[in-house]
Amino acid sequence: MSSFKRDKKEEEDGGGNPFQNIEKTTVLQEARIFNETSVNPRKCTPVLTKLLYLLNQGETLNAKEATDVFFAMTKLFQSKDVILRRMVYLGIKELSPIADDVIIVTSSLTKDMTGKEDMYRAAAIRALCSITDATMLQAIERYMKQAIVDRNSAVSSAALVSSLHMIKLAPDVVKRWVNEAQEAVNSDNIMVQYHALGLLYHIRKSDRLAVTKLIAKLTRMSLKSPYAVCMLVKEEDSGNDSPYFEFIESCLRHKSEMVVYEAAHAIVNLNVQPVESWHRPLASFSCSVVHLNQLFDLLLSIATLAITTLLKTGAESSVDRLMKQIATFVSEISDEFKVVVVQAIRALALKFPRKHSVLMNFLSAMLRDEGGLEYKASIADTIITIIEDNPETKETGLAHLCEFIEDCEHVSLAVRILHLLGKEGPKTKQPSRFVREHTSATRCCQMDSDDEVRDRATYYSWILNKQDKSLYNNYILDTLQVSIPSLERSLKEYTQGDTDEAFDIKTVPLAPVRSDEEREVKHKAEGMLVSQGPTKLAPISREENFAEKLSAIPSIQNLGPLFRSSEMVELTESETEYYVRCIKHCFTGHMVLQFDCLNTLSDQLLENVRVQLDPSENYQILVKFPENDLPNSIGTFGAVLKFIVKDCDPTTGLPDSDEGYDDEYMLEDLEVTLADQIQKVNKVNWAAAWEEAASNSVELEDTYSLSSMNSLDEAVKNIIQFLGLQPAERSDKVPEGKNTHTLLLAGMFRGGIDILVRAKLAYTDSVTMQLTVRSSDANVAELITSAVG
Amino acid sequence: MLALMNKILDWFRSLFWKEEMELTLVGLQYSGKTTFVNVIASGQFSEDMIPTVGFNMRKITKGNVTIKVWDIGGQPRFRSMWERYCRGVNAIVYMVDAADSDKIEASRNELHNLLDKPQLAGIPVLVLGNKRDKPQALDENGLIERITYFLSRIYLQSKTVKFAVTPSRVKKKDNIDITLQWLIAHSKSGMR
Repeated sequence: MSSFKRDKKEEEDGGGNPFQNIEKTTVLQEARIFNETSVNPRKCTPVLTKLLYLLNQGETLNAKEATDVFFAMTKLFQSKDVILRRMVYLGIKELSPIADDVIIVTSSLTKDMTGKEDMYRAAAIRALCSITDATMLQAIERYMKQAIVDRNSAVSSAALVSSLHMIKLAPDVVKRWVNEAQEAVNSDNIMVQYHALGLLYHIRKSDRLAVTKLIAKLTRMSLKSPYAVCMLVKEEDSGNDSPYFEFIESCLRHKSEMVVYEAAHAIVNLNVQPVESWHRPLASFSCSVVHLNQLFDLLLSIATLAITTLLKTGAESSVDRLMKQIATFVSEISDEFKVVVVQAIRALALKFPRKHSVLMNFLSAMLRDEGGLEYKASIADTIITIIEDNPETKETGLAHLCEFIEDCEHVSLAVRILHLLGKEGPKTKQPSRFVREHTSATRCCQMDSDDEVRDRATYYSWILNKQDKSLYNNYILDTLQVSIPSLERSLKEYTQGDTDEAFDIKTVPLAPVRSDEEREVKHKAEGMLVSQGPTKLAPISREENFAEKLSAIPSIQNLGPLFRSSEMVELTESETEYYVRCIKHCFTGHMVLQFDCLNTLSDQLLENVRVQLDPSENYQILVKFPENDLPNSIGTFGAVLKFIVKDCDPTTGLPDSDEGYDDEYMLEDLEVTLADQIQKVNKVNWAAAWEEAASNSVELEDTYSLSSMNSLDEAVKNIIQFLGLQPAERSDKVPEGKNTHTLLLAGMFRGGIDILVRAKLAYTDSVTMQLTVRSSDANVAELITSAVG
Repeated sequence: MLALMNKILDWFRSLFWKEEMELTLVGLQYSGKTTFVNVIASGQFSEDMIPTVGFNMRKITKGNVTIKVWDIGGQPRFRSMWERYCRGVNAIVYMVDAADSDKIEASRNELHNLLDKPQLAGIPVLVLGNKRDKPQALDENGLIERITYFLSRIYLQSKTVKFAVTPSRVKKKDNIDITLQWLIAHSKSGMR
């Protein structure tokens, strides 16, 4: 929806970006005019602009494209057009990491950086720095040294900053420029002084002693540039013993606010011990600012910083007093600094949980004030953090948030808070307090402009208004379990065929149950403000895949929809002569066996390959489940692979003669298990389903001794595997050190029969199990209890 | 009135006679390419030169002819880039240090490589022997002999290659002017 709005806005802007529709290939084509004998700056400059635009939009060139356009661009050095030349510098900087042999422009750039045209010099230095590699640095060293001490401050700054970049490339060479940098520190220009100090510091960074000497010298020298002073203060606070406390303190009274900031910041970052002694000056400073009524933004910000410093370092007893002080001016400062205050309050609340009521009240007052999204979001975040940290505050915190979203204009924030209320609300003493928010939200959504939002809102409010528990369970707590592509296919088939009978959703194959990890990812994405990129398409189930293929076979078409396909079962070992595997496809009343046979012998050709089954009595071959006789739907088949063998040439694969001989090969027995006929179903609220089933299902119960199991964990794994049901409410995880455990399972038997199973397990010497089955079909329940035995 | 008419006539003449040509100067390092450009451009001869890192671009105006010269560095790392600057020019000037007989073979190999590039077919090449003031320097015939020793005559005949030497004292402009005349003449024929 938001992207739709944005598009609309762009339309309204009318035309907008003239570069919107340009393409890389066109621009590279156009760049050929650079090679023409006479250069036309009016034509070349826009082409360069387009090229730079593309590169800055993230378009990539390969090395050949970049090299070609780079060399074409070097031809533009013949033009004396200032704008074009400066565009060329930019182009060089952009292309230098991709194109080959970029050092070709070294000489041209050194000429420009030492030339008379001031418009070229600084930019040429920066471009030069981007094309130079360690081997070329010596060739330009002389020019760099000169440029650092150049009278033109732009040139000097460019050279200093470029040196800083190149120090990573060749530290040893750049270190030789220390004298020039030293000279530049004395410059009258504030930026030159700042950059020179930066370079000096980086040259000496690794040598602690040299840094100390440098700082000692410079603190005495009184630098002109406030940037440089800030940097000096910053560098100092990296040393804790700081013999320069006097200097930092003097910086608190510096005429530039920036320096005062940095000094305050440095003091905050020092050990707590010396800070205590600074409380009074800082406090009086902040108070005096407020009391003198000099509410200039900058001074206020300094005061804010001072107060937050106090908040971060203060004692529990002073919290009330500090909060009162902040309250006097918090409405005057900008959002940006309010956020700083909120963050300080968060730290305070985590440090002194007992002060939560004061802080919470303060936050809720702030929440009611005017403010932007970022500010409000930071308050809401802080309240949420406090709630999470301190359960005592949950009721009041949620109440504040609840009140806030009554008329909150920031949609994303309201959504987040609603989500939190939905999650935490039911666990409070009076959940009904929060219901109103959600019902009113749902009601609003019924008038939303987005179709899907409106549909969903209508759907939920209709179900909720029915006051029917079974509806809640089936349509809100447990959402649609069938696989969506299968549903689409089934509906299509249904509408094409005979529509006299009502469509039975139970005939639609279920969606595969998602693994825990997948669910976790989804869970995290919920209620987030940021989008996680496009959602992945729902995975197509194995059944859906097989259903496509099976429905192509005429005799299988009329078996109805495919219910479940088993995993691949090996009937021989993979290294034997004939490698045979089987997949059991379960339909409502039939089972289709798919044998995948692989002849691993290169000198034999097999024809007329078939598997002869030795069915257990109750199965008819071609292959129907024994009707009305569920207990016998589980069984074992003996299986033999039969075929005609012809010897053949291993290289060509052609048979030696037309005549072959019959042969057979014993396969391992094929088992049809309970799990083959059951599909897993994920119940979000298993207990509710269980309760509902009490009234409309058959219940069977039995007790078993699982003597072969040596732990609860092992028993749980085996039961799940044997029954092929889906564990609910994380009951498949046995807590450590427990001797009893209850496993909750859910699934569906072929033909759409619901199954719920509760297994109470106890472990003494071996595992004992009380198994309770609730199913809509008595035979199925019977089958399960008997199969377990 | 007459003065004005003359001016207009001059202007017309310059329109018809105005010529622009572009040439690229290559050759091994330390053969004197940049020095040569400086001499024909401004008549200045400097002993103290540094190697060209990359290329220099100079525009030289002689009467009604403007010559654009791309002077490309001769160090090995730049030699692969010569061709890029030779494409489409009116003439290539290949500079050889005639006094350094040790380097002549290397110089000849690089010339051969350059002439072999299909993109440069048909562009006239002037092989120019430099540093003739040094005592052991080759003269024009010696240069032809040494250079063509490996490049057969037939091979050379298929290309427009001419040989010349710079005068013994570079400051004198005579031979340089002859060289320029040749260049102008041949670049025209090359374009045809």
